[in-house]
Amino acid sequence: MTTEALARPMARPLRRISERSGLNTAAGHVLMVLLSIFCLFPVYWMLASSFRPANAMFETSLWPTTMSLDNYTQAVDAIPIARMLFNTLVFSALSTVFQLLTGILAAFAFARWKFPFDKLVYTAVALTWLVPFQVVMIPNYLLVAQMGLLDNIIALILPNLAAALAILLLAQAMRGFPKEVMEAARMDGARNWRILWEVLVPNLRGTIASLAILIFISTWNEYFWPLLLSRTAENSVVQIGIQMFMTAEGNQWGPLMAASTLASLPVLLIYIVLQRQVVQSFMKSGIR
Amino acid sequence: MALASAGPTRLRRMTQSRWAPWLYLSPALITLVVWIYWPLFDALRLSFYQWNMLPTSPQTFVGWENYARIFALPKFWQALRNTGVYIVGLLPLAVLIPLAIAIYTHDLPEKSRNIYRAIIFVPMIIAPVVAAAVWRWLLDPGYGLANQMLKGIGLDPVKFLSDPKIAIWTVIVITGWKLMGFSTLILSAANANINPSLVEAARMDGASKWEVIRDVRLPLLSSTVLFLVVMTILLGAQWSFTYINVLTGGGPLGSTTNIYYLLWDFGFSTMSVGWGSASAVILFLGFGVVAFVLFRLIDRYSFHDN
Amino acid sequence: MFRTTILASLLALSAAVPVLAQTMAPTIDQPVTITFYNYNLATAGLGAEATQKLINEFMEANPNVTVEGIGYSSADASRIQADLAAGLPVDLVQTVFSDLDFSVNNFGAQALEDIAPTDEITAHMSGMHPNGTKLGVLNGKTYGLAYTFSTPVLFYNADLFRAAGLDPDAPPATWEAVKAAALAIEEKTDAEGFAGGITGVGAADWLFQGVVRSNNGEVISRDRTTLKFGEPEAIEAVTMLRDLYDAGVYENYDFAGALDGMASGHLGMYLQTSALQGSLVKGAEGNYELRSAAMPRFGEKPTRPNNSGSALTIHTTDPLKQRAAWELMKFLTSEHGYTIITSEIGYLPLRPAIVTDPNYLAGWIAEHPLVAPNLEQLDRLEPWDPMPGPNYRQITKTLMDAVEMAVFGGADVAATMADAQANAQALMP
Repeated sequence: MTTEALARPMARPLRRISERSGLNTAAGHVLMVLLSIFCLFPVYWMLASSFRPANAMFETSLWPTTMSLDNYTQAVDAIPIARMLFNTLVFSALSTVFQLLTGILAAFAFARWKFPFDKLVYTAVALTWLVPFQVVMIPNYLLVAQMGLLDNIIALILPNLAAALAILLLAQAMRGFPKEVMEAARMDGARNWRILWEVLVPNLRGTIASLAILIFISTWNEYFWPLLLSRTAENSVVQIGIQMFMTAEGNQWGPLMAASTLASLPVLLIYIVLQRQVVQSFMKSGIR
Repeated sequence: MALASAGPTRLRRMTQSRWAPWLYLSPALITLVVWIYWPLFDALRLSFYQWNMLPTSPQTFVGWENYARIFALPKFWQALRNTGVYIVGLLPLAVLIPLAIAIYTHDLPEKSRNIYRAIIFVPMIIAPVVAAAVWRWLLDPGYGLANQMLKGIGLDPVKFLSDPKIAIWTVIVITGWKLMGFSTLILSAANANINPSLVEAARMDGASKWEVIRDVRLPLLSSTVLFLVVMTILLGAQWSFTYINVLTGGGPLGSTTNIYYLLWDFGFSTMSVGWGSASAVILFLGFGVVAFVLFRLIDRYSFHDN
Repeated sequence: MFRTTILASLLALSAAVPVLAQTMAPTIDQPVTITFYNYNLATAGLGAEATQKLINEFMEANPNVTVEGIGYSSADASRIQADLAAGLPVDLVQTVFSDLDFSVNNFGAQALEDIAPTDEITAHMSGMHPNGTKLGVLNGKTYGLAYTFSTPVLFYNADLFRAAGLDPDAPPATWEAVKAAALAIEEKTDAEGFAGGITGVGAADWLFQGVVRSNNGEVISRDRTTLKFGEPEAIEAVTMLRDLYDAGVYENYDFAGALDGMASGHLGMYLQTSALQGSLVKGAEGNYELRSAAMPRFGEKPTRPNNSGSALTIHTTDPLKQRAAWELMKFLTSEHGYTIITSEIGYLPLRPAIVTDPNYLAGWIAEHPLVAPNLEQLDRLEPWDPMPGPNYRQITKTLMDAVEMAVFGGADVAATMADAQANAQALMP
């Protein structure tokens, strides 16, 4: 990182230490490579298996001995996967935007003011984590049905407009933000609204980008709520599509792996793009 | 919202500071109340009834019966014990290792740092059910690659998922495998937010790498670490749910059943509103107490930190 | 909300006046839409296409009827519960047999005798196997018509049999023979001997019911008021399974593990529903020879296999929709319907005559000899009894947990089963 590059020449007298840390770094790399294999291998296995023909499914060769795209054609034929991916994208993107928005506003309230019952409210927000989704699922379904929103993507998003994770993480990040900077902005006559959007939010870009990634992925992988809501394959999300290959009469391994691979690719791409954004915002904050 | 902060006079400033937080909070609070707290309070009432949720059927008051039956489940205490094992097992995977990774990769050149962090994050993006299915495949005693390798070096195959002593650890490792990226991301973000001048200053004072970590980074990361610890304690049981459900169904012999899975199995999945509601209340109050204690501890801790 | 009220009052009415004989409309004289809750539709492959094909054929033949197929997960019927609670129309349902009691008492499943003309019922049921039609009978009335159902068969890997020095043409017919064959397979090959869907994680109680009955015991009394799985015959059956495990030949797999183990050729024998045939054949193709035999018996006692699977139940109280649902039900369980169900979804034909009829299944059966033991067992088929009352799922879980502990967990068989029987009896209505 840039800061370290700057710091290095000044640290020259401590050469012996940095030599030893070079050895440490080598050992670290070995560990990291092992860890990487552990993380990647099952994903690789999913990918490799998606190319295996049906009767070679249980082969243990590292590379498929015969390659076939059958699983992909089967998967695409069996479920409207493009439509499902699009629905999932809309669902995840909107949920992410709204959770960040409501999270930023709520977190600001916690970080900026002391107000009656603030601790209580904060705890209540945190406690929503502990409510098992299954218990609110059917009441929520009835509410959505009363609103006439069944089989509608809006209904998917409604309960996801706010979430504890975003609020708590952002509140923590804002509390950790140097008070002097906020005070200085206030001295300059900036109002709360502007302090939030012009001082806090730009400086918390790293946290916000990380959060966006996390929210997006967890929404992308959400299963129970879409399962209850969707009545037709065309209006449902890709997780439901994936599960359609796992049945009480066994899994259709090939198409399952193919569909999973297709479902994972968009998330991977988004992660890579946002990850760069995360890193860049760190760099900027580093220079500050 | 902009209106709320647009009051120059002293009086308006007073009312503004009284109402402003609530205005900022309202979108989030309304969502949480409508979609979570309202049904939860309803569940509190319904946990004393026997009902099938149909408007045409009567709600029969049964008192504490639903609770009594849940506490009388033969697996209840086993599940509670297992919940503890899950938490203890998950803590290193969800906190310690990610912390080490975040600190270690922070000082790497940009390219390798990004590659490592990206790789560790990859398991996060795989759908939980698929992750579970692939792992079961790899770990199968017959055709699984893991056991083929063990056999290759002359060891006996391990029944990763059907040996009651081993299965829970298998599920823990898989849950951790999926989680590590999440924690690493959060810790890396927090680590990068540390003001570099602090690190630099320490270094100028002749602090070694390890001393920088111990005296500068770790204290500044402590609140994030605590946050992750709390999350693991409170949510570990929920996180492992999909893997238990797909991989072991709580077995063999209940050895991988935790409290969340048990209550799901006997409560939520049975179409009986009473059992389900009582399960929810037990989970909420049980973990709520734990959460309360933990948050108090954190409050105290971060006070000292300031 | 308006619809909710109507439905509610209709349901209330039907509850208040239990017997309104033959309520359905005589004909479908105007357009009508019915919903069909079907769990095959919630899958990709496995019956979804064939089901949709049948629905489409029906709509073509009955232009006045629109059938809205809705997929739901068979593992929990909460989709049906939620839709009923939301006041949505639930007209025809593919109901798992174990849910039948709950479906009748909570989801308003209607008895055919109450809604359809007697002569029509008699006419439709002629040609059906009497053992099949009684599967959906509860308290003397036909609430469900067997739809996609099957019996337990012993799948075995003929290649492993040969490798173990066993004769694949003489598959084990008794549990002792199963044990001997499994021991040989374990000893002479790398594979595991035997697994089954009788007990273990995720197992439903249907196969266990059949095993206990085959030892002349019962899981639940015929009038479904008293649990009996703690009695000597049942305990003897569980002890036999325990003995298989103690001998090291009965693998404690979860469902998916056992299925994939068999499909991949790492398991010698697998006792499970014949509905798995399709999945197993796919894995076996080109790898090993898959065969099937009837369910094993206890000594000389003839087996009393029972069914797994689902029935069709009518829930609507609207006369016109009842007629439409009944017509669809008749279509799905016709000669043609069972031909599709058997050859394309993989379940049993309830009409024995179509098996030898070249217009229907004769050609297909000749090509698929694996289905033979399944057909033969139809003559001894007994119902998968649903547990009664609102706690029926907990009763089943209590039972199955106890069986698992007794077979695989080293627990004392008699004490464990008796304990569980007492615990579960307390949950009975």
